[in-house]
Amino acid sequence: MSSDATVRDTVRPTMGSRAAAIWGAANRYAVVLLLLIGIFLFFSLTQPDFFSRANIENLLTGSSILFVVSIGMTFVVLTGGIDLSVGSLLALSGIILSELFNDVGLPAPLAVVGTCLAAAFLGGAVNGVLIGRLGLSFFVVTLGTLSIYRGVVNIWSNTETTYISSSFIDGIAFSKFLGIAYPIWIMIATYVVALVVLRWTYFGRDVYAVGGNITAARLSGINVARTLIMVYAIVGLCAGIGGVIQAARLGAASPLVGESTPLDAAAAVLLGGTSFLGGVGGVTGTAVGVLFIGTLQNGLSISGVSSFWQQVVTGVILILAISIDLLQQQGSGGPLRRLRGFGHGPTSSSEPTVEEGARSD
Amino acid sequence: MTEDPFLQAEALHKRYGGVHALRGARIAVHPGEVHALVGENGSGKSTLLNILSGQIRPDSGTVSLAGRPVEFRNPTDALRGGIATVTQETTLAPELSITENVFLGRRMLRRGPLIDWPATRRRALAAVRRLGLDVDPSLPVRRLRPDQQQMVEIARALSIDARVLVLDEPTSSLTDDEVASLFGLVRNLRDEGVAIIFVSHRLKEVFDLADRITVLRDGRTVGEAPVGELDRPTLIHLMVGRALEEMEPPPVQERGGASALRLRGLTLPGSVYGIDLDVAPGEIVGLAGLVGAGRSELLETVFGLHRPSGGTVEVEGSRVSFKSPRGAIRGGVAFVPADRKLQGLVHEMSARENLVMASTSSLARVRRPAARRELRVVRESFEGMRIRAGSPRVPVATLSGGNQQKVVLAKWLATGPRVLMLDEPTRGVDVGAKAEIYQLLFDAAESGVGVLVSSSENPELLTLCDRILVMFRGRIAAELSRDEATEARIAYFAGGHR
Repeated sequence: MSSDATVRDTVRPTMGSRAAAIWGAANRYAVVLLLLIGIFLFFSLTQPDFFSRANIENLLTGSSILFVVSIGMTFVVLTGGIDLSVGSLLALSGIILSELFNDVGLPAPLAVVGTCLAAAFLGGAVNGVLIGRLGLSFFVVTLGTLSIYRGVVNIWSNTETTYISSSFIDGIAFSKFLGIAYPIWIMIATYVVALVVLRWTYFGRDVYAVGGNITAARLSGINVARTLIMVYAIVGLCAGIGGVIQAARLGAASPLVGESTPLDAAAAVLLGGTSFLGGVGGVTGTAVGVLFIGTLQNGLSISGVSSFWQQVVTGVILILAISIDLLQQQGSGGPLRRLRGFGHGPTSSSEPTVEEGARSD
Repeated sequence: MTEDPFLQAEALHKRYGGVHALRGARIAVHPGEVHALVGENGSGKSTLLNILSGQIRPDSGTVSLAGRPVEFRNPTDALRGGIATVTQETTLAPELSITENVFLGRRMLRRGPLIDWPATRRRALAAVRRLGLDVDPSLPVRRLRPDQQQMVEIARALSIDARVLVLDEPTSSLTDDEVASLFGLVRNLRDEGVAIIFVSHRLKEVFDLADRITVLRDGRTVGEAPVGELDRPTLIHLMVGRALEEMEPPPVQERGGASALRLRGLTLPGSVYGIDLDVAPGEIVGLAGLVGAGRSELLETVFGLHRPSGGTVEVEGSRVSFKSPRGAIRGGVAFVPADRKLQGLVHEMSARENLVMASTSSLARVRRPAARRELRVVRESFEGMRIRAGSPRVPVATLSGGNQQKVVLAKWLATGPRVLMLDEPTRGVDVGAKAEIYQLLFDAAESGVGVLVSSSENPELLTLCDRILVMFRGRIAAELSRDEATEARIAYFAGGHR
């Protein structure tokens, strides 16, 4: 090969590769996206009550807690971990909110902010430090804090629900801005901030690098411990926000909430195409995963089917989506597939960073 | 060797998406010969071997065993056909015993429904003794030396009565002595009538060991001949498709001023002891020694990965004590680690993201990456280093080994280092890319960087270095100037002689 041709080939990203990058990232959750559209159309056509403004708003606000927590969970899964303690932390956040508002007597906005910060601090300072700084196993650490926080919730609350009567906190669940309920705005804001952080900051790159190859990341000068601490702080913050929304929806702090949250969030993240080995995936897929679970749950209950079927269907789809992914790779991905191990697409990893290349040429 | 080939592959084609990995490759292997398969990275060697070992299926073409066409649907089919493969990466289970590893993937001997351990152990012992390895078969494999582990792998391959043994880069982690004993073993097997397919980037080994050579280039078989009919230049010409001049290092640059790197009495208990070392700006200093002599540990300690128990490190005259790689990078030190796959690259990320990873590691993390500047750095590196990739945006895992290594090197050069340390800079890299990497190191030295290269390939050090330090058991055993250094001398001191 002549070197001229080589240089030209290498430095001019072609439109083909750009399209491939976009498709590559979308391909990871394409199956679930198609299924989401499918069940959405199905419920719209078969259930007259489904496609109504009230129900769609209900669907979205009902998904908002899982959505916010799953976005946070995406960061952790991208580093190759998982946080089992988010449900307990979510419940604990409700208790902290009640404590700050009812007992300490902070004004409601301060109590809300304080709750979120406390949850972020707990996530980063406990899970984050133990996993990132001391290098303990994420599974064992977060299994431990799952148990610890749940125990603290039960001791602190005496297993009783405490009411929180504040119009500000009620408003978080039930007020509207521009005709749209606040939980939906919170979802959108969480998604946008997470997307920007992952795609357009060095921190976002660090998250992918640590998940992709922690040794290479460390040798390249990336502060791995700080990255992991931040990631667990972020999922803590998201659990705190989820806890506040939960308390606002109930008008109370209940010690019983969040039991199934960690596994639901993990399912949403994995449905969204993020690899549980880390380094591959993104929050857009997670958003699709959460909306799929939420739509299924809502549609089934409108149809009069037990919403527990949602759990069965989610599990089946999760396994199917991964199988389809694997079959696709065996068709095309050859050498890459073996490099990456199982469960990965033959595709570009991160959210595609396309626009920069196009602009600079 | 008048008989028919035992294993024959003809007109093999294989495509991966847009990449045409094999386009009409062929190979014919006779019983009782060592058949070398050579070619640059990306020439299709791995693909061909994967077809022969049943890991992938060709799009078209035939494979026949003893004249009968066969179709391997999976590795088990190939094993049943008598083709056993020992790959580059060890596939042993380190915590399991030798016995269990020899029988890995196969049924052990049984008495009724239970495993007959004594009989199984005797069988495993016989298998490793045949290879001249006399150790307790109940030892866990991790307690063995690298070459002994390799023997266990070969024993496993042979215990299925293999007629063809594929050795893919078997020497890449062995010392010279270990290579010699491996070669003795391979010759014995050949004399017993086993056909051996031998893959190595080290042409010297190919000429030492092989009876016949098949050369692949761009997925085609471009030559096949008995080893006596080929010489080194001809072989290289076949592999790269053009003549390659032998590298001649530029004359030593004398520069005044402080050392780029100065170590005094550096000690890391268990690994390195009392190392004194100076690298002048513009100088290339080599570290020779056996695997385990402490070369890697020395570089890692300077880079802040281990805390030394004593001694000092100075970079350009100022005392430093790096507590992490981040500190070392800020202090002007770069380190190209030995294992590209495990330490060098994040495989799912793009070539571009990998390339700027180290040079951007001390910027504020909430910052938005400067796309324009990054792309400029990437473009300059790609052009300057002749990195061949579809686009800087493709996952770095899709590049060939030589190009991946160039990305690692580019990543570190982009940090603007004063001291560049490299551990095994051309491991698993083909001759063409090797020459290019050498040139890049000469260029780096030319620009005033102090270069410290650790390598277990002594010819590499002789090509590159102004001075060579030979390590033995954690200490510097000898310092050889370029005029004094020969392979024999290095090997002499590396073996602990005085």
